[in-house]
Amino acid sequence: MVNSFTQKFLVNKIFWIYVISGGFVLGTALLGLFVSSVSFPMTAVLDVLSSKLFGTPIFGHEAAGNIDVIIWEIRFPRVLLALFVGASLSIAGASFQGLLRNPLADPYTIGVSSGAALGAVSVLYFQLSIAFLGSYTLPVVAILGGFITMIIVFVITRISSRELNIETIILAGIIISAFIGAIISLIIALSDREDMRQILYWLMGNIGMRGWSHVQLIVPFFIVGVILLLSRTHDLNAFALGEESAGHLGVNVQGGKVLILVGASLLTGASVAVSGSIGFVGLVIPHFVRLITGPDHKHVLPLSMLTGGGFLVLADLISRSIIAPKELPIGVITALIGAPIFAVLLVRERMKKG
Amino acid sequence: MIEVKSLSGGYQKEDILKDINLTIEEGDFFALIGPNGSGKTTLLRLMTGALEPSQGSIYVSGKPIQSYSSRKKAQIMAVLAQSSHVEFDFSVEEIVMLGRYPHQKGLIKHISRRDKEVVSEVMKKTEVYHYRNKPFKWLSGGEKQRVLMAKALAQEPRILFLDEPTNHLDVKHTVDMLQHLKEHQKNRQMTIVAILHDLNTAALFADNFAALHQGRLMKKGDLSVLKNETLLQKVYEVDIKHHSHPTLAKPQMLVAPEGMHHRKLSTLKAEVEQSEQYIHIAYPRPLRVLSNAVVGGGLQWLSHFCNFHVPKNYDCQDPAADVLEWLEEANIPAGDTLGMMTAVKLADQAFVRETIMDTPVFTVVTAGVGNAVDITENHPAEEEWQVGTINIMVFLDAHLTDGAFVNAVQSATEAKTKALADMQVTDPATGSMATGTSTDSIAIAATQHGESTPYAGSGTKVGKAIGQSVYRAVTEAIENYRQRMNG
Repeated sequence: MVNSFTQKFLVNKIFWIYVISGGFVLGTALLGLFVSSVSFPMTAVLDVLSSKLFGTPIFGHEAAGNIDVIIWEIRFPRVLLALFVGASLSIAGASFQGLLRNPLADPYTIGVSSGAALGAVSVLYFQLSIAFLGSYTLPVVAILGGFITMIIVFVITRISSRELNIETIILAGIIISAFIGAIISLIIALSDREDMRQILYWLMGNIGMRGWSHVQLIVPFFIVGVILLLSRTHDLNAFALGEESAGHLGVNVQGGKVLILVGASLLTGASVAVSGSIGFVGLVIPHFVRLITGPDHKHVLPLSMLTGGGFLVLADLISRSIIAPKELPIGVITALIGAPIFAVLLVRERMKKG
Repeated sequence: MIEVKSLSGGYQKEDILKDINLTIEEGDFFALIGPNGSGKTTLLRLMTGALEPSQGSIYVSGKPIQSYSSRKKAQIMAVLAQSSHVEFDFSVEEIVMLGRYPHQKGLIKHISRRDKEVVSEVMKKTEVYHYRNKPFKWLSGGEKQRVLMAKALAQEPRILFLDEPTNHLDVKHTVDMLQHLKEHQKNRQMTIVAILHDLNTAALFADNFAALHQGRLMKKGDLSVLKNETLLQKVYEVDIKHHSHPTLAKPQMLVAPEGMHHRKLSTLKAEVEQSEQYIHIAYPRPLRVLSNAVVGGGLQWLSHFCNFHVPKNYDCQDPAADVLEWLEEANIPAGDTLGMMTAVKLADQAFVRETIMDTPVFTVVTAGVGNAVDITENHPAEEEWQVGTINIMVFLDAHLTDGAFVNAVQSATEAKTKALADMQVTDPATGSMATGTSTDSIAIAATQHGESTPYAGSGTKVGKAIGQSVYRAVTEAIENYRQRMNG
C-alpha cells in the first residue's frame, strides 16, 4: 500500500536524520579533540579517553604526562562545554520559537541572554557568593537575571499590544538589551583594568580555558531544562494554532507555558553563566532542523540539541584555529554566520506577510 | 446539555454580556444570531471556558464547566474558532492529528491505530484528504476552514462549538459542511452550538435559535424566532422580511433596505407591440406579478408580458421550452418575461384601459370559448380539443400584499365567470353554464407603488376596479371571437 510505504519511508527518514545528527556530534567532538596547535596521534587521543572513562587504553599507548593533561584537562572539557552550551541554546531557541509561534524568537533576540549576562557580570564583579550555592551562585544568578528580563520584556509587550506580538517582543528585547548593555558597560568602567579585559572577553562568548569546573556548573541545569522541554513537545505542537486553540485541545495552557519558559530560561541562563553571550545559535539551528524534519517539535527539539551541540564544537574549533595561536571569541564566529541568516529569515518573514 | 444561568461576562472590567439564561438540549443544533458586537463570540467563549464569567454559571451535563479538567473538557467539547494563523510548515494531517491530543495518554503521546483511522476518516469527510501532506499555511481560507473542522471532528466531541464555520466557504462547501454536521448531529447525538451570520443558512440547518442584541438575549426558540420580523428588525436594525423556501418547510430571510422605493409608473402607459404571432406588453421597470403562465409563473417581478399564438394542432409536449425559444427569436429577455399561449386569433383580443374607483387598470384578454367548461360538472372522458382559452392579464397601479394578490385573482375570476354567464357561454358537454375554459391563464401585475393594501376582494376599491375591468375585457373579447366565428 502506498500509504504505509510512505509512512515507512518517513519513519526511516527520521531514523536516518537521528543517525546522521548523532554522527555529526561524535565527529565534531573527535575533531575538536584532535585539531589543535599541538597534535597527537589519533589512537593516542582515544587511549587517553578510554583509559579515563573505562580504565584501560584501547591501543596500548603509554600514557605520557602532557598528552594526558592536554586531552583530559583542557580539550575534553572544552569540547563537552561547547556541546552542552550549543545544545542548550538550540533547544531553548526551538522552544521559544514554538511557544511564541515565530521563527525569529531566540534567547538572544528576546533579551534573556543579556539579562543572564548582567546577572553573571554582577556575580563576577561583586564577587558574590550565596552561601549554600557556592560556585553555583554564578549560574543561578544568571538564570534569575535572564528570567526576570524575560518577564520584563513580556510585560512591556503585553502593555503595548494586547497580544504577545513577536515584532514587539523583539523590539522590547532590543530595548532591554541596550539598557542592560549600558549597565554592564558601567560596571566594567568602574572596575580596574585587569578585570575589565577578562569580563569583556567573557561577554563576547568564550568557552576556552574553563576546565571541568564549568562543565559541572552547567550539567545539572542542562539535565533539568532538557527534561522539562522534551516533556512539552506535544504542548508545543498544540500551540501551533494559538493558545486558546491549544486550550480547547486539553492543553494546560498556563502551566505548559510556564514550564516551557522556565526550562528555556534555565538552559539559557546556565549557558550564559559558563560561556558568556553566544548569539544566533538558538535561532539558526532550529530553523535549519525544521527545514529537514518539518515542524513537529517531537523531532525538532532533540535534533536541534544534537545539531546545535555539534555546531558549537565546530565553531569553537574555527575560533581557536583561524588566527592561531591567538583565539577569537566563539561569539564572533556564531554572529558572523548567524546574523546574515537572521537577516534572510526576517526578510522572508516580512515578504510572506506582504 | 448546556445550561447558562444568569451569566454576565466580557473582557477587562466591562461586561459585554448581561444576565443570559439559556438551555441547550443534548443533540440540538443551536444557532446564535445577532449583529456584529452583539456578544455572540463572547458567549461562545464563556461557554467553552476560554473566558471567565464575571457573574452566573455554566453547567455542562449538570456539572459546572470549571469542574472539568482541560483534558476532560477537550474530550467532550471541541471548538472551531475564527482565527487560523499557523506558524511553521505543519502539514494538514499534522494539524488534524492535533485533534486526537485529548485522547492520547501518557507523557509521550503515542499515535494509535485508532487515532490514524479517525483522522483519515474526518479528512475524507471534510474533503481535505487529497492535500493532507500540504503545509497548512499554504491553503486558501476555505481550505483552512475545512481542515480546522476536520481537527475539531477528530476530537470526537459530544458538543461542537463553531464560530462562523462557513466563513470563507463557497456555497457548495457551506452546504456540504453543514450537511455533514447535521449527519453527525443525528447519528451521534452531537450537540452543535454555532454562530451563524447568514440567517438563511441558519434557518436551513439549525433547530433552535437565540437572538442577541447589545449583550442581551432578546429571544430564544425554534424557527419562529426567524419568522418574527419585528424582533429581527429590532436586533439587526434593518428591515428583514421572511418568505418560505420553495421546496423545504423553512423560512428564508430577505433584507429590505430603506430608500429603495419603486418609481411611480402608470400601468395605462404600456408599450404594446402586436403581430400575428404574439402580443408583447412592456413596462420600463418590473411589476410584481402573480400568475399561472407557462413561463414566469408564480410570484415574480417582471417587465415583459407576452401572449403567443399557437396553431390549433400545436404539439404541447414542452410548452415552456417553446415559449423560451419564441422569446429568443423575438429578442425579448426571457428572464424578465411572462409568457402565455393561446390558439385563439390574437386579433380578437380586448384592451381595456381606464381608471375605475381611483385605480388605473389595464386589462388584456384573449378569449375563445370552444373549450368552455362548467367546473361543477363531471366531464365525460377525453374530448376533442377545440380552439378556445381565456388568457387574462391585469395591470394595476396599486401596492398589493401577497395575500391581496390571491384576493385579486379571486376578483378577476369572479368577474370572468359573470361575463361568461352574461354572454350565455355553456359547457357543450353538459349544456350548463360555463365557468371558464379548460386551460385559462391569468396574471395580476401591480406597480407596488404607494401604500400597500392587504385586500383586493370585491369589498375593496381595487377589487371592484379589477372586477369591472376584467368583466368588460372578457365580454369584449368574446364578442370579437363570436363575430369572427359567425362572420
